[in-house]
Amino acid sequence: MTATQTRPEAAPMTTGRTINLIQAVTEAIAEEMERDQRVVLFGEDVGARGGVFMATAGLQERFGKNRVFDTPLSEASIVGAAVGMAVRGLRPIAEIQFADYMGPGFDQIISQAAKIRYRSAGQFTAPMVIRTPSGGGVKGGHHHSQSPESYYTHTPGLKVVMPSTPYDAKGLLKAALRGEDPVIYFEPKRLYRAAKGEVPDHDYIVKLGEAAIRREGSDLSLIGYGGVMPDLEKAADALAAEGVSVEVIDLRSLVPWDRDRVLTSVQKTGRAVLVSEAPRISNFMGEVAYVIQEQAFDYLTAPVGQVAGFDTPYPYVQDKVYLPGANRIVAACVQALNY
Amino acid sequence: MIQPFTPEPIRFVAEDGTPVQPLPERYTPEVLRDLHRLMLQAREFDRKLITLLRQGRTTFYAQSSGMEATQVGLARSIRVGHDWVWPYYRDHTLGLAMGVPMAELISQCLGTNSDSCRGRQMPHHFAAQRQNFVSISSSIASQVPPAAGNAMAQKYLGVDEITVCTFGDGATSEGDWHAGMNMAGAAQAPALFVCENNQWAISTSIREQTASETIHIKAKAYGMPGYYVDGNDIIAVMEVCGYAAEQVRSGQGPALVECLTYRVGSHSNADADAEKHYRTREEVDAWLARDPITRLENLLAHLGHPVTAEERAALIAQTHREVDEQVLAAEATGQPDWRIMFEDVYADLPDHLRQQEAFLRAEQTGGRA
Ligand SMILES: Cc1ncc(C[n+]2csc(CCOP(=O)(O)OP(=O)(O)O)c2C)c(N)n1
Repeated sequence: MTATQTRPEAAPMTTGRTINLIQAVTEAIAEEMERDQRVVLFGEDVGARGGVFMATAGLQERFGKNRVFDTPLSEASIVGAAVGMAVRGLRPIAEIQFADYMGPGFDQIISQAAKIRYRSAGQFTAPMVIRTPSGGGVKGGHHHSQSPESYYTHTPGLKVVMPSTPYDAKGLLKAALRGEDPVIYFEPKRLYRAAKGEVPDHDYIVKLGEAAIRREGSDLSLIGYGGVMPDLEKAADALAAEGVSVEVIDLRSLVPWDRDRVLTSVQKTGRAVLVSEAPRISNFMGEVAYVIQEQAFDYLTAPVGQVAGFDTPYPYVQDKVYLPGANRIVAACVQALNY
Repeated sequence: MIQPFTPEPIRFVAEDGTPVQPLPERYTPEVLRDLHRLMLQAREFDRKLITLLRQGRTTFYAQSSGMEATQVGLARSIRVGHDWVWPYYRDHTLGLAMGVPMAELISQCLGTNSDSCRGRQMPHHFAAQRQNFVSISSSIASQVPPAAGNAMAQKYLGVDEITVCTFGDGATSEGDWHAGMNMAGAAQAPALFVCENNQWAISTSIREQTASETIHIKAKAYGMPGYYVDGNDIIAVMEVCGYAAEQVRSGQGPALVECLTYRVGSHSNADADAEKHYRTREEVDAWLARDPITRLENLLAHLGHPVTAEERAALIAQTHREVDEQVLAAEATGQPDWRIMFEDVYADLPDHLRQQEAFLRAEQTGGRA
């Protein structure tokens, strides 16, 4: 198998249009609001302003202030109110302006949204979606660039997803809205306009919990999610030029995550390099590494490699140095290949 | 004595410069001119920084144009370098008026080696130890509980200091705001909370922000006086903030001052199109007519000490020159390198960071990891 072969997930066969990731988010919301009267959308500046990144532009005009509205500046209120609405039968989409600002809503996420089904034995549930831009690469310093997904993957009761393509962004958001659980939906902000791709004209979903194989390969499994995916592709290209066949996997969902696809891949290639831009300690990829060594130890020909953010607050001026980047990924792959 | 909970904002000077109540004697023409100089300097600083932004020499800027009387007035109401300040990100005019050198502000905005915060934070998020001006956090209202704690420490230590904590109107919706206000009230800590109510939180108007008629009345719930002041009238700001600060200093417990003002520009460079999206040109024009700098100029003219066009132009030119010089000086110091990432994370560098630093050094110097 050569490094450049692709599977359907890598480039969905569509007859659709090419859009960018943020348009995909807007389309998903609009179509679900059209389809289901229970879907409401709110957050800071989502109405007339259309969101600070314009993800909700035009939606208030289209669906009215009852269904698309600005809230007071309070993430605890936004998340907590979403829980209450969900319990009472709506399908709220709560926008948190930056993932860095989920902090004030953290207690509502982990104490209410995540737990209400369990503690009431299913008598009450909170199916809702918290959408939030995350990750670095936009010169935002530590309060506008963090990748806090591991705080949430650590909390039972929450589903956690992060797309990297317009196709997935749309399909995952629709699936999240049609599901029965609270979903934290991270949007890699540096890909909002950079990631372009086709989406079909017809309705579709991308099931939560299924990874996508972006390209097949036989020498090494390169696994990531979200904002780093273009760097994985670049690294795979660079390695392909050296005759190395890399399998590139986009996890898409962190909770639940696609153990089968990852393990099958690692069993085939014998090497894995895991990439995430979040700080290394307690990074979600640590869980993936653990499962690989537990379930595929006999297949490994090198230790599982990891490329992560540094365990420092996200810096402003050294933004680009902080992020993994293709070179750092290639170096980790070479280390695994030469082991 | 100044009354809390007035139905209308307290003011001393009308838009046309006529005093609406007797001006305390300390406002001599020299004092008023000094205030005018500071306000105009801050306004021009905004203008220049926006130019830098357009030139791509910085990446973010949140102007305080229109809010100069509130910030300069507050700076002049406290004991700089003695009292402690927990500001928010729009407070560079407060910093300038407290004597934070312009060079430091510019260095921070450019993230150069001369930045005392070492390029770690986004532009506009400075800290100044000499002025007890505590590091700015972007996270709205997150400074309020620590400010309460700072004031509690001052009470515990028995020092003759107060803590000043500023925030916008939007911040008053956050749980942290209520938690901090309540804590300070319960502890009867010497904290002066100042709301710079510029009436918009990005695109959310104060009417959508809260059903409270005003911000200052919320003070009642926390057992402290709430003062309502015309934030575009620098004398009113100085009188009310000065009075509230003295009450706080004398052990009366915390106080809240609401300065009613207006941000005439956009929220930041990220929403340069405010008028198109969420507010009307008429509203902005109505507030431009209440401009704090013009009002002070009108007062000076009324008192027979007008600021001449030449004086004004000279002051503007001087500020522009100063900013230009400081920008070049800051840029000449270069950008901090990758090492800054690892310093100040902890008091000592733990092992795992030592390893990561070694890895990055090898990478950055072309060696092997
Ligand atoms: C916890 C948190 N949520 C959201 C944001 C994004 N944000 C930055 S400024 C702002 C509006 C703040 O308005 P206000 O407190 O009135 O201050 P102003 O900017 O008007 O001076 C918002 C929502 C943030 N910085 N922190």
